[in-house]
Amino acid sequence: MNAPQPALVAPRPERLRLVGQRRQMLAVMHQRLMFGMLVYGGLVALIALRILYLAAFGDHAGRKEGLTALVPERGDILDRDGQPLARTIDAWTIAVHPNKVIGDKLALAQKLAQLMPERSAEQYFALLRSNKTFFYLRRRASPDLVEAVNAIGEPGLALEREPDRVYPQTTLAAHVLGFTNIDGKGAAGVERAFDSELSDPSTRGKPIVLSISSKVQQALEAELGDAMQHFSAIGAAGVVMDVHTGEVLAMTSFPTFNPNAPGQGTPDQLFNRATQGVFELGSTFKPFTLAMAMDSGLVSGPAQIFNCPQVLPAYGHLIHDTHPFGRQCSVAEIMMESSNIGMAQIANLVGTERQKAWLRKMGFLDKVEIELKEKGRPLTPGVRWGPFETMTIGFGQGIAVAPLQLAMGYATLFDGGIYHPPTILKVSPDHPLAAGRRVFTADTSYRMRSLLRLVVMRGTGRKADAPGYRVGGKTGTAQKLINGHYSQTINLTSFAGVFPMDDPRYVIVVMLDEPHATPETYGFTTAGWNVAPVVSRTISRIAPMLGIAPDMNREPNMSEVLPYVQGANQDSKKD
Amino acid sequence: MSSTRSFGSLFMVASCAGAALGCYLVSLRVASERASVEDVEARIVSAQADVRLLQTEIGTRGRFSQLERWNAGAFALSAPAAAQFVQSSFELAKLTRPERQPDLQAPVVLAAAPAPQPQKPQLGQPATDDAGAPAGVAPAALLHEASLKTETREVPARAVVAASQQPLLKSTEKPVTAAKPVQISSADKPGLAAAHHPPVQKKSVDKPPLAAPAAVTKRVQIAKVDPLAPLPDRHLARSKDSPTGR
Repeated sequence: MNAPQPALVAPRPERLRLVGQRRQMLAVMHQRLMFGMLVYGGLVALIALRILYLAAFGDHAGRKEGLTALVPERGDILDRDGQPLARTIDAWTIAVHPNKVIGDKLALAQKLAQLMPERSAEQYFALLRSNKTFFYLRRRASPDLVEAVNAIGEPGLALEREPDRVYPQTTLAAHVLGFTNIDGKGAAGVERAFDSELSDPSTRGKPIVLSISSKVQQALEAELGDAMQHFSAIGAAGVVMDVHTGEVLAMTSFPTFNPNAPGQGTPDQLFNRATQGVFELGSTFKPFTLAMAMDSGLVSGPAQIFNCPQVLPAYGHLIHDTHPFGRQCSVAEIMMESSNIGMAQIANLVGTERQKAWLRKMGFLDKVEIELKEKGRPLTPGVRWGPFETMTIGFGQGIAVAPLQLAMGYATLFDGGIYHPPTILKVSPDHPLAAGRRVFTADTSYRMRSLLRLVVMRGTGRKADAPGYRVGGKTGTAQKLINGHYSQTINLTSFAGVFPMDDPRYVIVVMLDEPHATPETYGFTTAGWNVAPVVSRTISRIAPMLGIAPDMNREPNMSEVLPYVQGANQDSKKD
Repeated sequence: MSSTRSFGSLFMVASCAGAALGCYLVSLRVASERASVEDVEARIVSAQADVRLLQTEIGTRGRFSQLERWNAGAFALSAPAAAQFVQSSFELAKLTRPERQPDLQAPVVLAAAPAPQPQKPQLGQPATDDAGAPAGVAPAALLHEASLKTETREVPARAVVAASQQPLLKSTEKPVTAAKPVQISSADKPGLAAAHHPPVQKKSVDKPPLAAPAAVTKRVQIAKVDPLAPLPDRHLARSKDSPTGR
């Protein structure tokens, strides 16, 4: 088109200029077009590359992020056999937005009252007419109810799922598990002690495995609850503990509460008597005093003879016995008959300073070492701790410890004298056994076996014997301090038992607070009559579960103690 | 030349595009596979959540306190006592003894019957239940039981049918009863009259009727050996059922 034509007439100079301009413009236009095309092509290429990248490596729209593994809203709590004790599930909640209700409010109120009769139709109507924007009608609603409410078809009703903490075993181990508050934060027990682990997204996928065994816990709770009801006690506590590891297999406190509805629990019910409560546990302390004396070389053994008068005057006080000997008696007899007079003399031999040092070593002067936060501080005479207090502590008066602490003391004494801090978590590769420390010598530990077995075979704890399971232990009947005086009638009875005594594996501590006499106890409220049978029945139930085979032919070496018990031979003939 | 060269670039572009498309298809395929895997995973997770929910519900309904209530209240079960545990399989085996079953098929044999030799193999066969117990012991034990059943006295009224109608179990035991009081067999003939007078031995009462007519024994034998006869057969079945029901 622009081919040169024969110039018949010389073009006008302005025209020439025009042609030049046009060319220039065309070149610019080409440049711009090219640029635009490059930009456009670049964009398309970018998008195409991105699409390709996404297709190759990217996520698709329907991808459910984080759903590849089930991570509960709050970690599970399992018992040592994997039985769930606490779980978080999605529960239905029924709520209503009163200002979004479009139907007839009166009819709706009537229907709601029919379905959820906890409020009357008038109350529902008042709620629907109130200016509130939102309120819950029911949390943790059953699916049937949700279905029925959904069938009403009112858009103002909101059916939602929200995570909810459920304790399938209800009251079982309630004090160990604790509960969560309305915000889902742990408020007591394990829920509180391990709140961060249970709620942290990185750790909550892994359940917390407790040392509690549901079966043992149930046996203990059932037997102890029966006894508490039977003897009209105001409270009770029980602990079962592994001697070698310090694992708490069962721990209960009565009265108990339902962690699914903690709001209904009274403070008395929420109080954990096994760890929080400190009690003067009485004669169950005597084995410690004897072990201290034997370990320190102050008492040679069960054969040593003490003078046991009817009444022992000491430091301006009189010490009495329930079954006074009024003669010379051996250490074995002192243990068997739970003689305060004899044990006071042994404690006097130990002395105040040594006693304090021993008790500190055993962990009786500090709060019990366990993961739970609910812990009571032991009560001691403090600055008044003189020689007389040493004597009373020797037989268990004047020092108040938690039942768990008592169990820990027995575990120490019968684990060859090695202390392991009690733990509520199962000992496993994730939670290895804490380093122990030696408190008593292995020899002392060994010699205490036959002494405590003697108490159950012939002494105050006869009713605690479970045939075949070689139970050893010590009863404790403490008078309760009421208005500063020891009551003569109101008792706190306890029993600390160890089984099987020929190779101790488990400790059981049971306590009843203010038991009453019944016809079959002949009016007695001492430990031998009310808690000892609980121990017997519980051990008969739990020992087979714990892998202890009953054996009538095994006993600890009783020849170490029987020769030093007066009338033992006659007794055996009588039996 | 020039056309092929210009087409060459086109081919290049086309093959590039084709390759890219192929790659894209592969990746698309991979992506869709992955998506379906994720879908399955998501379904697994939701199934797990359902399982948890159901487990929780079952756990709550079957909680230990509930089981305890059922065990104690409804089923009256209790934990096994120490004596109920055995230490070894040998002790366990000691606890069981083969159950002694009266053999209904055993032919009725009278002690007074002349041949003791056929008697022994006959009794020996049923006695195999007792794991080779001495043949002398078993009849003695049976003798004791049979003595309790005095109602067989009515049998002698020669009603053979009645005898066969009596539960066959008893009739098998009867002959053994007869085994003992062989000595008094001479006094058997007085039969019923003698039975009334001496109250000392009820066994003798049983025996005379049976021992007296030898024919009775044989007929009973026939009734058992011959299951073809319809009437005794029915009775046989009945009498078989009743002991098991016990």
